[in-house]
Amino acid sequence: MNEFFAMGGYGKYLWPAFALGFGVVVLNLVLAWNSLRNAEQQARRRMEMKT
Amino acid sequence: MNWTWFHRFASPPYVYRFARRWAPWFGGVAGVLMLIALYGGLVLAPADYQQKDAFRMMYVHAPSATLSLMVYSTMAVAAAVGLIWRMKVAHAAAAACAPIGAWFTVATLGTGMLWGKPMWGTYWEWDPRLTSELVLLFLYFGYMGLRAATEDLQKADKASALLAIVGAVNVPIIHYSVVWWNGLHQENSKKLGADADMAWSMVWPLLLMLLAFALYFGAVFLIRLRAELLRRERNASWVREVLT
Repeated sequence: MNEFFAMGGYGKYLWPAFALGFGVVVLNLVLAWNSLRNAEQQARRRMEMKT
Repeated sequence: MNWTWFHRFASPPYVYRFARRWAPWFGGVAGVLMLIALYGGLVLAPADYQQKDAFRMMYVHAPSATLSLMVYSTMAVAAAVGLIWRMKVAHAAAAACAPIGAWFTVATLGTGMLWGKPMWGTYWEWDPRLTSELVLLFLYFGYMGLRAATEDLQKADKASALLAIVGAVNVPIIHYSVVWWNGLHQENSKKLGADADMAWSMVWPLLLMLLAFALYFGAVFLIRLRAELLRRERNASWVREVLT
């Protein structure tokens, strides 16, 4: 197991790179969801104001 | 040729419902494929005879880099469609692309730096591929900045679309930079078929990861497109229908 994480000595570059890449994958999804929630809330508030 | 599908995609409520329906499927399949590709790339694939385990960087760096270009191309095409046919949905689609592409450009540059240090001995070099990818990041920033700074939505759509289209000249420059100029960055190593220079056990996780990232982009894009459409069409009657 330790051998796997060491990655032949390249682990200290490899794991941060994977953390960054897949961190961006997760972040993009979270940011998109937040943006959609915001837009929905704004639209709902507008609907209530009109009725 | 039958163009009704094209006309349907010009209708915001149709596109909104389409996006709501399909985003979870794109995202779900992308997530499963990513996990399989990660296992294939990190565990099953053997270490490279030259780069040893450092070659595994490829499984995160190459898909990010591909997306950074694919998202920009999508954005430029959508912007052009928006300009030519005055299609609101197309402008919304272009705007939805920008933040996604910018983040993947950051991931590309960051993972590339972490690969460059052990392989080239430096995090950064003003190599043609690296420099043109950095320009791509500034193009995304310029696009988003221009939209944010322009109050009038129609003006913002037009001006940012022009910027996206002009900036598209950078896409082939990035792609061919490794062929046209001698830099540090290697050429694409993914050759398939008889003259394949990578073992299949190394190639399939990469191809799967590329597919997974493309599907993932589809999912995030559709979510952001919904948000864009809601903001633009907040006074339209269909918004009330889809939210209640």
